[in-house]
Amino acid sequence: MSALAFALVALALVGPVPALLARASWPMRAPRAAIVLWQSIAAAAVLSAFSAGLAIASRLFVPGPDGRPTATITSEIAALSWPLWLVYVSVLAVTLLIGARLVSAVVQVAIATRRRRAHHRMVVDLLGDCRHGMNGLRVLHVAEPLAYCLPGVRSRVVLSEGTLSALSDTELMAILSHERAHLRARHDLVLEAFIAVHTAFPRFVRSGSALAAVRMLVEMLADDAAVRTAGPGPLARALVACASGRTPSGALAAGGPTTVIRVRRLAGRPNSVWLSLAAYGAAATVVVAPTVAVALPWLTELHRLFAT
Amino acid sequence: MPKLTRLGELERAVMDHLWAAGESLTVRQVHEAISAERDLAYTTVMTVLQRLARKNLVSQIRDDRAHQYVPVHGPDELIAGLMVDALDQAAGSVDRQAALVHFVERVGADEAEALRRALAELEVKDRSLRSDSSAGGAPSD
Repeated sequence: MSALAFALVALALVGPVPALLARASWPMRAPRAAIVLWQSIAAAAVLSAFSAGLAIASRLFVPGPDGRPTATITSEIAALSWPLWLVYVSVLAVTLLIGARLVSAVVQVAIATRRRRAHHRMVVDLLGDCRHGMNGLRVLHVAEPLAYCLPGVRSRVVLSEGTLSALSDTELMAILSHERAHLRARHDLVLEAFIAVHTAFPRFVRSGSALAAVRMLVEMLADDAAVRTAGPGPLARALVACASGRTPSGALAAGGPTTVIRVRRLAGRPNSVWLSLAAYGAAATVVVAPTVAVALPWLTELHRLFAT
Repeated sequence: MPKLTRLGELERAVMDHLWAAGESLTVRQVHEAISAERDLAYTTVMTVLQRLARKNLVSQIRDDRAHQYVPVHGPDELIAGLMVDALDQAAGSVDRQAALVHFVERVGADEAEALRRALAELEVKDRSLRSDSSAGGAPSD
């Protein structure tokens, strides 16, 4: 019954587990480990779903009259009967379809992201000024406080005149180390993977809560880097100044509660090593346990089937 | 007289000139205007204009005698495009959201009030914790 076990693991990993983790508040005190846990949950969910499909499909190799696994369609139908054969073949087809959809979503997101980024960088390079002798920093002649980065090999940090005039040097240092942490650790690749999963399975899977949670954790990770160089006070002031600037018409205020949570976190309890260790442990368990408990027996079974 | 080392600065200078002109210009006209300030080869200006045309920043008008170049967008239009691209994430589809990573998202009026309260709490705590050490910058608000 390895197919059923795989299916149950997959269902748990796309349903209740992400829902619980998204509601928990401890990840804020161990953001890096929590991101790893989210990644391992997503990876284990995808792998279990595939394994469930393949485990069902592998029953096509049912032992024939001679005791050997059936290899031709006609002998499979003879051994399984028509309806069962159709069910197994459809499961295989659906599994392959889901795989194809995931792969195409990854490619699509990667292309769209890079195209948009390249165009944005081209215009930023044309219009933005280089300041402070910092490589990759561009300043736009805009009164709104803007601060963002364009990740990638030719990365850019973009600020506006409004940001430079509204913030003190320490507050700017907080923003710059925040953005550099994003660029150095390639947080965008982490986000891209979750965006791809979300694009491929928008409704089935609770990938929306995973994406929102990971997005916030990535910001907290960069916040931690900014706190190390500039301290929590300057970072919090920079966050508030950039978040509550007048929103230009045509743009929606998208920040909402995560910004408040980030500022409150700076005044809250510090990160915990123990929570991190527990989360890393959980991440390893999520990936290893289904593999050992379900995949190995199934592979042994399959091997025995072919060995006889 | 600063020497133009980066190709990007050169593109900026050419675009600034085209924007200021307000009409289509030939390579020679651009070259004459820019070489009044800086030492530049005619072919360099031509290459820059061709690059800008490939980037769809200028369009080439084929005339009988010479190619004319005209900006596709004004500078304000380009800035507006950047702002929409940078700030209008909620309206965009989810698959484009990894292109830019924001320092912080904009908040509405309700959240702005909650933000200011959270900041005030932090500053009270910050002062009591670091009263002996040198604090970063003076609290602005």
